[in-house]
Amino acid sequence: MRPAWIVAAILVVAAAGRLWRRRRRVGARTPVPRVPRDRRNPFGETGLVAGREIRERLRGRVFRVVTALLFLAIAAIIVVPTLRTAGPPRATVGVVDGSPALDDGLRAMARRVGLTVRLVDVPGLAAARSALRAGSLDVVVDATRSVLVDTSPSPTDTSARAAFVRAVSLGLGALGAYARAGLTPSQVAIISGAKPVAIVSLQPAKKPTTASETTALLGVILNFIVLTQYLTWTLMGVMEEKASRVVEVLLATVRPLQLLAGKVLGIGSVAMAQAAALVVFALILGRAVGSSFVHGAAPLVAAATLVWLVLGYAFYSWVYAAAGSLAERQDQVQSMALPLSLPLILGYIVSLVGVSSGSPSTLVKVLAYLPPTAPFAMPALVGFGLAAWWQFLLSVLVSVASTVVVAVYAARVYRRAVLRTGARVRLSQLRRAPSTTR
Amino acid sequence: MVGFLGPNGAGKTTTMRAIFGLTDLDAGSVRWNGRPIGSEERRRFGYMPEERGLYPSMLIAEELTYLGRLHGMSAPDAVAATTRWLERLEVADRAGDKVESLSHGNQQRVQLAAALVHDPEVLILDEPLAGLDPTGIDVIGQVLVEEARSGRCVLFSSHQLDQVEDLCESVTIIDRGRLVASGTVDSLTTAGAQRLAVRVEGDRDGRWAAGLAGVTVSENRGGEVRLVLGTTSSDTVLDAARAAGRVTKFDFERRRLSEVFRESVGA
Repeated sequence: MRPAWIVAAILVVAAAGRLWRRRRRVGARTPVPRVPRDRRNPFGETGLVAGREIRERLRGRVFRVVTALLFLAIAAIIVVPTLRTAGPPRATVGVVDGSPALDDGLRAMARRVGLTVRLVDVPGLAAARSALRAGSLDVVVDATRSVLVDTSPSPTDTSARAAFVRAVSLGLGALGAYARAGLTPSQVAIISGAKPVAIVSLQPAKKPTTASETTALLGVILNFIVLTQYLTWTLMGVMEEKASRVVEVLLATVRPLQLLAGKVLGIGSVAMAQAAALVVFALILGRAVGSSFVHGAAPLVAAATLVWLVLGYAFYSWVYAAAGSLAERQDQVQSMALPLSLPLILGYIVSLVGVSSGSPSTLVKVLAYLPPTAPFAMPALVGFGLAAWWQFLLSVLVSVASTVVVAVYAARVYRRAVLRTGARVRLSQLRRAPSTTR
Repeated sequence: MVGFLGPNGAGKTTTMRAIFGLTDLDAGSVRWNGRPIGSEERRRFGYMPEERGLYPSMLIAEELTYLGRLHGMSAPDAVAATTRWLERLEVADRAGDKVESLSHGNQQRVQLAAALVHDPEVLILDEPLAGLDPTGIDVIGQVLVEEARSGRCVLFSSHQLDQVEDLCESVTIIDRGRLVASGTVDSLTTAGAQRLAVRVEGDRDGRWAAGLAGVTVSENRGGEVRLVLGTTSSDTVLDAARAAGRVTKFDFERRRLSEVFRESVGA
């Protein structure tokens, strides 16, 4: 999958790299013969670095296992609810010594408990019993005496069939009592047709969860999983390049910014492709099984989720890459991972609680405009229809502007730290530290 | 081929890193063919750093191809060059293995292939012979000699001075960041006072040389006396030796590179 944004992002970074390099090449006054570039590699070194990242990541066992688990989880989330609501419950009811009035009464009771019934006249109780045992009848109503079932429903059984059996039992008993009380058929009809009075509550009734809100919930979770996984890869990838000293070989021919951008874009492309594949899979599967996931504004929320996944990765990836350049051992990385992940976790938890409660709090509405937490809070607001287009756009612009600032600072940290080996580098050490000359 | 020598801490690695822009210069500039070097020149240089660096879990052939492409090669050219260099460095049978699965010596060969894969004009190698067994030294030394003969400029640092003397035409010696000697191996080892190695039969202590004026005895190995001539000529020394007994050896000697090195850095 090659979404247009990946191509656009690579083009922008490659162009920025060329511009930056031209600006820095002030010292080289005399033109020098150029090494002929590979024409099939239009994105230059950044593209090559990104390509290596994509190949190596797709090849990894962790990626395959995690992807398979995510697909299974999405399939389960979509398919399982539809299994529980796969069509209205049905029952075939045998009637012994029936009458049109009884048939009408039975149908009314079935409607009340949400059961669709087919009524079958049965010549006698013996035939009814054998039909019950054979499974061709679910319930038999003997108009004068009893309700017959093969297995009596347990007191905790809340199925429509069990509710129907209990209702018929009560109803037949009531009819008998009405007859003994000497009520006329019209009086019986009035009593039988009694409607419940309205229930008035002081608290407003909780509105049912809509498909777009469910999608927002899934989107918040998806963004957290994908961001956590791929940002950790970025952090570890930079650290491993430093630890293995391969970075010195690479920086002898590519610029630090090209190497950094290639890594960020490569891992980001894999992240985006995986997330987009999951969303497309979810939409197709949802449509195939008739899930509510694809109805209404849900696809729009899914698209907003992907937009914020890109923006979230773009914002955080530079930070994580710069952090990776400060360390060259696993324990050094771990001590940095927690403080880096705190804003991610904050945004995720607050948004998740907001979506789950059915009403995003004011805090979620504030976090939706802060770049570190917007990847979770803004999709949540979109799911609840609480973000107008201009609010969404404003948050995107704030995030993009912040990403540019963060990227510039992170590139500076990376350039100064990635070749310093030994103990973990502290930011305070970098203020006056020499960097690579390029 | 130029040997780049200096004691530990002299600045050899820093100089090499500066060539590739991996460290800032306090002063001065790095030039090639009279021009300050930039990224275009660096793409035509090959570098083997002191601390070897390759992706440990990447397949060897893929890694070399990747590095070749970073230097501007097309994919087919990089693949062909990878195959050629792995064969030449006798590790072609490991092309499909991960770097981390190789022995130290073979990793060193792959690292050299990484520096050579893009057919560089200049090869900068930081201690390429360190930690190698004699076979490894022979293979890598032979490759370096052939590359230098084919017109490639090879600069390598080493503390193994005998090998440098065997492999290099020129050496440059630095100490505490300053150039202290530079020139061809011949000119450096033949420069200065004339040296003689003389053996007189039956005189294991070299007593015959002790009283010679204008001569310094630098070494006596079991009667083979090494002399540094000052104001005295070799004829005078020969006469003195013949007067002491039968002369079984009389050679004009050049300085060993190790002597040049010690004298240059004041060790």
